[in-house]
This record gives sequence, C-alpha cells and structure tokens, in this order.
Amino acid sequence: MDAIKLENLSFSYDGETPVLKNLSLQIPKGSYTAIVGHNGSGKSTLAKLIIGLLEAESGKIAVLGKELQEDSLSEVRDHVGIVFQNPDNQFIGSTVADDIAFGLENHCVPTEKMQAIIEENAAKVGMSDYLNAEPTNLSGGQKQRVAIAGVLAMEPDIIIFDESTSMLDPQGKASVNAQIRKLNQEKDITILSITHDMEEAAQAEQVIVLDQGEIAAQGSPKDIFTNDELMSRLRLELPFALQASKQFAKDGLLKTPYLSIDGLVEELCRLK
Amino acid sequence: MPIKINDLEYTYAQGTPFEHKALKGINLEIPEGKVTAIIGQTGSGKSTLVQHLNGLLKPTKGSVEIAGFTLTPDTKLKDAKKLRQKVGLVFQFPEYQLFEETVGKDIAFGPKNFGVSEEETEKRIRDVLPLVGLDESYLERSPFELSGGQKRRVAIAGILVQDPDVLVLDEPAAGLDPQSATEMMTLFMNLNKQAGKTILLVSHDMEHVLKYCDEVVVLSDGQVKTQMPVHEFFKHPDILREIDINPPGIVVLKEKLKENGFEIDENSYSIAEIAKQVEGQVSKHE
Repeated sequence: MDAIKLENLSFSYDGETPVLKNLSLQIPKGSYTAIVGHNGSGKSTLAKLIIGLLEAESGKIAVLGKELQEDSLSEVRDHVGIVFQNPDNQFIGSTVADDIAFGLENHCVPTEKMQAIIEENAAKVGMSDYLNAEPTNLSGGQKQRVAIAGVLAMEPDIIIFDESTSMLDPQGKASVNAQIRKLNQEKDITILSITHDMEEAAQAEQVIVLDQGEIAAQGSPKDIFTNDELMSRLRLELPFALQASKQFAKDGLLKTPYLSIDGLVEELCRLK
Repeated sequence: MPIKINDLEYTYAQGTPFEHKALKGINLEIPEGKVTAIIGQTGSGKSTLVQHLNGLLKPTKGSVEIAGFTLTPDTKLKDAKKLRQKVGLVFQFPEYQLFEETVGKDIAFGPKNFGVSEEETEKRIRDVLPLVGLDESYLERSPFELSGGQKRRVAIAGILVQDPDVLVLDEPAAGLDPQSATEMMTLFMNLNKQAGKTILLVSHDMEHVLKYCDEVVVLSDGQVKTQMPVHEFFKHPDILREIDINPPGIVVLKEKLKENGFEIDENSYSIAEIAKQVEGQVSKHE
C-alpha cells in the first residue's frame, strides 16, 4: 500500500495562479523520499495539502489508503506528523516536556501514561536531559529535535519534514538528518523530506523534483542528479561528489558518477 | 583603516545569577576593503562580537576601533548613533524585522531617523533598489506580501540606503534556496569589489567561506582560535573538525586523495586542477 497517493491534484491560493498543476505521485510505505525544487515550486504547499492545512481545488489525496476528506481529516492526521522550518514557531510548551505533551493532551491521553511517553520520545531524540528546559535555553537544533519528539509521541506512520534543517547550524543539521535516517531505518516510518540540501537529498531512496507545480522528474538520487539536462535547466545544485565525478569523467578518469567522495576516491585508487 | 579589537571582553547580565562571559579577551585586526569570515559554533561569541561593531553592545572591558570611532566601556551608546550609519549590521533572518506598511517606507526608515531629507532619501532608494535586485514597482507594495527572499532584499536595502563603509552580515544566506543564496552572496561580493565596502560575514556555510572570503577568523568559547587567509586556513581542516564543522567538499576530496597516496598540490582549490593532477597518477578507463 502507498503511504501517500496523490491523484491529479491542483491548487492555487488566489484561484488564478496555479501553484500545483494536476499532480500525481505515490510514496511507498516505509520509503524515504526527498522533494527538491526552487522556492515557489509548490513543495511546501504540497505538504500542507497532505496534512489538510489547505484544501485542494481538485484531485484526490489518500493517506495509507484512506481518502482525505473533511470527515476523515482527524483520522488521517493521526497517521501523519509534520516538522516545519522555523524551530521558534512550533515550540508551544513552556518546557520540553510540556511541548512533547501537547499533542498527547489534545488526544486525551491519561496523565499517568503521559510521563512515560514523554520520557521515551525525548530519549529517542537525545533530549532526555532537557525535559524541564525552557525553549530560550535551547539551540535551534535542539528545538527541532523536541518538535520531532512531539510528533513521534503521536506514533505517526509518516513524517513530513518541511525544510526542517534549513535554519539550523551544521551540528543541528547533522543531528536532525541523522534522526530522520534513524526513524526511517529503525522504526520504518515513511519519510517525506522537503529540502534544499542536495547532500541530504542524495541520502534519500527516491527524489522528486518539483518545478512550477509539476513533477519535473522522479527517481533514485543517482538518476536525478546525473540527468544533466534536468539539473541545468532547473539550475539545481549538484551534490559535491557528483560535481567532482563529472569533472573526473570529462577527463576520462571515471566512467560512472559517484554520490559520495569515498566512492569516487575508492574508484580512483583502483585505477592507481 | 582596519578594524581593531583590543582585549575585548563582554559579560551578559553582569552581577546577576545569570552572569555569562561571552567574550573573553578578543584581539583582532580586520583588514579594510576585504571580505572576512567569522566562524565558530553556536555559542562561541560570534553574534556578541559583531554587535560591538556598530555599538549595539559596548565592551565590558577592552576597546573596538572602527570607522573612526573607539568604543570602550565608558562610551555612551547614544553617542554610537553616527557609528550605525558607517557600519550596517544585517541580522540573521532580517525579513522578520520589516514593519512598515510599504517597502518604500521600510527602506526609508533609517535615513528618516538620521534626518536625511525626503528628496535625498528618495534618490538613495532609487540607487539602492537595483543593487538588491528589486525594481521601483516594489516600493508601494506591502513587505508582508513578498516572498522570504524578497523580504530579505528589502531589509538589506534598508541597511544599504545608509551607505555604510562596513557591512556586517550574520548568516545572510541561511534558509534561502541555493539559487537565491548565490544571488544574495553575489550581491554582497559586488558591493565589496565595486563599491569597496569592507565585509564581515558570519557563516556556517564553509562552501561560501571558501568561495567568497579573503580571510577567516575562528572563534571558540569567546576567544580567537585562529585568523588566517582563506586558502591557508583550508589547508588545516583539523581546525574545523575541532569545532565540529565539516570542511568544504573540495577540502575533503583533497584530504582523502592524499590519504590514499595521491600527490595533490595543497594550493589547489578547483576540481579541474585536482583532476589534472590525478590524471598523471592513474591508468585511464578505455
């Protein structure tokens, strides 16, 4: 079953300028998909449609086989969590524990059960020592990890990351990205990551490129990033290892491109 | 005149239980007309340091000499008003600081406060708009209906309209898509190369530091860890690893090739040059 299935989805904010045009796609359950594309390509709009923050003009959205409609909205949302871009805009509680508890309270989880859930999920994101910390004393990366813990507490099957690392420093970025991979690999959570970070996208199983509200391409990171015509037409940045691979290939040193510097150097060593 | 920072110390909330020493004796000379990167972990004192450069903070101890001003613990911050015309500080996510009804009013806010005449202000705005890649059609629009990247351009125009000699930029490209980030950095580089502005760039993006900066200053725990010309600095990736920052891809590539017995010129920073050097050392694919 697909975790998310979109059929002929269209949307516009003002009723005139289309933001998404007849978009169809399938995200397999348990997969890690990165969505890339320029600002204004419709990436974040897509995320908001999937969790029902916006309503599509036409087309269908199904989450785990359940069609998203007004009466299924809360059921669908039980399966999908989202982590937004700005760590400061999504910290609601006065402490880390309060923040993680927010969703639980809304779902009327009994107080005696709550503490264990909070502790368990804080541990998953490495924030156990900060349960009583206030948001002002946390770094951006820590706040984002708390946001993830809050989402995890709801036991979602799917988590959408909407540029969740773009406002973080390198350590914050690395810790959140590591967390994303871990959730996908160990907990089998379906990940949909909207990102500008091509190094992160290179880690995903599949990459979807959006351009002006349409899917410009969909495939493995290697397929996408080696599609020279696509990359230059959309002026997308290549992960560094691929940039280097291309130059080495031009000079006749490599046959195939590599997505990691290690892979590239290994191949050169073989030729030594 | 270079910027001189002498034994600078700064303590937040001095004399309270929350006392925190953010700068612990900084000595720096930052060259005029160059682009200098200030890097370091979150909490290393970067933001505290740059807020001294236009007198938003004054030293707890030591002094800062910049654009003809000397800031000391005895300086009255209201005397720093003139300094703020000479040194423009662009905060992180400056788009959150827009507040006027129209783009034009927002850009005009600074000059108006400094008593610049309306005509002169209008002239300056017309000069500044193309620098940030906006046209006059934006002037009557509300800043709040613009995209994030456009808002940031408006905020930066509001700084440039003061015609500062020194621009201090705190993560100016953070949160932008790669194409907008490149445009933003190109804009600042033009201001440096063509208008001779001295630029200080606080950045976590080592690709930007390598590509755009002349000098690198590394802060760690409120102190200067090192200051070097950029190409010299990236010959020592261990300094970056000590502060948990990943070196740029090209530096990692060079490092790994060397570890594997390839001979690579340490002064090369382009893929093409490195590929040429590797070429003589491997047998080619047929």
